[in-house]
Amino acid sequence: MSSDARLEDRDFTAPPIFARLQQRALRVGAVLALAALAGLVAAPRQAMHSYLLAFMLCLGPTLGAMALLMVCHLTGGDWGVGIRRILEAAMGTLPMLAAAFIPIVIGAYLHLNYPWANPEELKHNEHLVHQASRYLNPSLFLARGVLYFIAWGVMAYFLLAWSEAQDRPPERPPDKRFQALSAVGIIIYGWTLTFAVIDWVMSLTPEFTSTIYGLIFMVGQGLIALCLATIVAHRLRSHGPMSEVLTTRSFHDYGKLILTFVMLWAYFSFSQWLIVWSGNLPEEIHWFQDRIKGDWGVMGLALIVGHFAIPFALLLSRGLKQNARKLMWIAVWLILMRYLDLYWNIEPSFDPAELHYRWLDAVLPLAMSALWLGYFLRNLRRRPLVALHDPHLAALLAKQHE
Amino acid sequence: MEHKHPVEAMAGGQGQPPVLQPGYTFATITDKISAIVLTRQTPLGWFVGVGIAGMLSAVLLYAVSFLMYQGVGIWGINHPIGWGLAIVNFVWWIGIGHAGTLISAILLLLRQSWRNSINRFAEAMTIFAVMQAGLFPLLHLGRPWLFYWLFPYPNTMTVWPQFRSPLVWDVFAVSTYFTISLVFWYIGLVPDMATLRDRAQNRAARMIYAVLALGWRGSARHWHRYETAYLLLAGLATPLVLSVHTVVSFDFTIAIVPGWHSTIFPPYFVAGAIYSGFAMVLILAIPIRHIYNLEDMITDRHLDNCAKIMLATGLIVAYGYIMETFMAWYGGNLYDKHLIWNRMHGPYRALYWALIAINVGFVNVLWTKKVRFTPKLLWFVSLVVLVAMWLERFVIVVVSLSQDFLPSSWGIYIPTRWDWATFIGTIGFFALCFLLFIRVMPMISIAEMKSLLPSSEAKAPLESES
Repeated sequence: MSSDARLEDRDFTAPPIFARLQQRALRVGAVLALAALAGLVAAPRQAMHSYLLAFMLCLGPTLGAMALLMVCHLTGGDWGVGIRRILEAAMGTLPMLAAAFIPIVIGAYLHLNYPWANPEELKHNEHLVHQASRYLNPSLFLARGVLYFIAWGVMAYFLLAWSEAQDRPPERPPDKRFQALSAVGIIIYGWTLTFAVIDWVMSLTPEFTSTIYGLIFMVGQGLIALCLATIVAHRLRSHGPMSEVLTTRSFHDYGKLILTFVMLWAYFSFSQWLIVWSGNLPEEIHWFQDRIKGDWGVMGLALIVGHFAIPFALLLSRGLKQNARKLMWIAVWLILMRYLDLYWNIEPSFDPAELHYRWLDAVLPLAMSALWLGYFLRNLRRRPLVALHDPHLAALLAKQHE
Repeated sequence: MEHKHPVEAMAGGQGQPPVLQPGYTFATITDKISAIVLTRQTPLGWFVGVGIAGMLSAVLLYAVSFLMYQGVGIWGINHPIGWGLAIVNFVWWIGIGHAGTLISAILLLLRQSWRNSINRFAEAMTIFAVMQAGLFPLLHLGRPWLFYWLFPYPNTMTVWPQFRSPLVWDVFAVSTYFTISLVFWYIGLVPDMATLRDRAQNRAARMIYAVLALGWRGSARHWHRYETAYLLLAGLATPLVLSVHTVVSFDFTIAIVPGWHSTIFPPYFVAGAIYSGFAMVLILAIPIRHIYNLEDMITDRHLDNCAKIMLATGLIVAYGYIMETFMAWYGGNLYDKHLIWNRMHGPYRALYWALIAINVGFVNVLWTKKVRFTPKLLWFVSLVVLVAMWLERFVIVVVSLSQDFLPSSWGIYIPTRWDWATFIGTIGFFALCFLLFIRVMPMISIAEMKSLLPSSEAKAPLESES
């Protein structure tokens, strides 16, 4: 416990560069958002398609961080101590995502994004009318969306509030509340996210159903959150006393976890592909046919190589996992791959015939990510970079010095 | 990822019961475990168990002999239900095996040192369960003596397996699984075989253990090579935990039968396998630790951890059930909807509702500490879970086949006494193998238990290669 007392005197505020980065991110985000707004006026339909991509991209690290945080609390391992504040800051951006959900609902009401909300599509598709009448319609879509955000909001609120309470001395005994909330919370997360991606992404092709779909997105969110945490941890590693918390050993752990998520993503995606392909049923196979034709197929292959083969092969090396700098570059690469995977999942539903990469597909995700990053850095700067009263911190420090 | 140091883990920490009760030394651990095999009087319960298990094994022998003589017509299988209990039992048994591999390989790589006191017998459980599992598809072939036709070997008949069939993938998956599990288990046994060799009074026993110990002398070089081999085998066994039951799930999903063709099957089968496997671990561990007074080594902490893993995987299984039902409703496919209707209201509805009641509802009793820390209750819950998982496979295999696309070819399947005799026979044979194992081999790894002692603290913990 003496190491705690010693640590408390140290300066655990974020480095000044983070303030500059925050300013820059917000500025870039604002400029790009203006450009995107112009795009929205010029081509509203296309803008809504790109917007969904941007929304799903930013949702990843936010909810992924919440899920990872709950896993940390639940398993009580010390691997999460070093990145706990990063995850909390990412989870804290949830209000922005809730606000960002509004345009998607408006898009649904204005028939801009979902086929089941479009009377034109409903006219000559009896099956779709049936689906729309009981599940896929704008009002229920909105109601469910509100429900998901309330569930996530409540969990994020308590995790953050208790965490702030834990920061204030006097020192408390290990807080059992985190564990209790996390046990239930991880289940709530699993269910709500599953139904959210059915609503927001899978329903773009209403006749397509896949029972593993939610799991693929859960893994994707965990992966992008972990990659973000690794990048930020790399930046913090050399900053003052953080070097005692974030050691080679920590990065080795993050590397192993990233490898696990990469393998799980490949396992789930491959299972879905093999089962749908071999079944070859008309209502399912179209989804894949749209995604393996022409340039979409090239993108699919790029995902196999870039999202699985390359990171998998590299991450097998222990030396690489222990090298924070190299691991950081893998994390950057994987965030790009997450973007590509979401693009490949979402956009062919709008544009099955051919891949048309439009400027909004880049600008809108960039704009939202930049704003998200600004918000995230603001959250991160507000509190000490380490949870000094985390019961696992002492154990971690003892081991780092072994 | 948890870096629980052995010593810290042993002490429990955070108010948890310890992994090994304090007060043991290197010598007393060896004494206690080796005595069960070498010097202690065999408990009466063991003889009773062997008697019952032996009789049931005889039933198996009889059922299989008659099957060879008469053919698979003695079973209840028919058109359209060609798979019947044989495949239900195959999936059930092979699933049970998975917990052993997870404990011995994955938990080793994750440095979960609490596994050291249960990995040996859990792995033995895996091997014996896979043996029972392997019997069923072979017997189901109709002409089991031609089983080697499943392997791709050059032959004058130009018969070649259909590599696009998951049934052929199964042959490779299961035989690989059995081989790796056996080798991994045996390599782990080598130092303990040497201990028994050195301690055995009986000359014959000494010679047998000496052969099995492969000349182990316990030199530093031996230990170095042993640990390297052990880690490599753990690395090889780890993907098998996922791949074997994934391939089993492909047996179903690759077909387009409603109720079989569902993308969630691979992870859901793996979770179900681990779920039922941990139930079997508890079913075996709870009486064993009581009969052999091993509560110091297989502590409440182990039971608690196993129960927690059971709960987590049980919730994933429940997720699978609910996703299947939801997607049938959401997608609105006629055949999928009928399948769900048939499960809920058809001739086998009682079995479906029983399994839902247990795997979605009843399993939640594991949230309470009282159940996790009361061995008798936990044993009962595990038994119920094993029954439910058997019912799950019955519902998947039989209900899906009984009413598919053509109403004119719907049917009913009722297992015959030969089906039941074969199934109950394998339970007896499994128990017999297991009882013989705990009589002649150390059921807890002597060598690995010692790494839990405070005196091992100076020794570096096993480093994982991955």
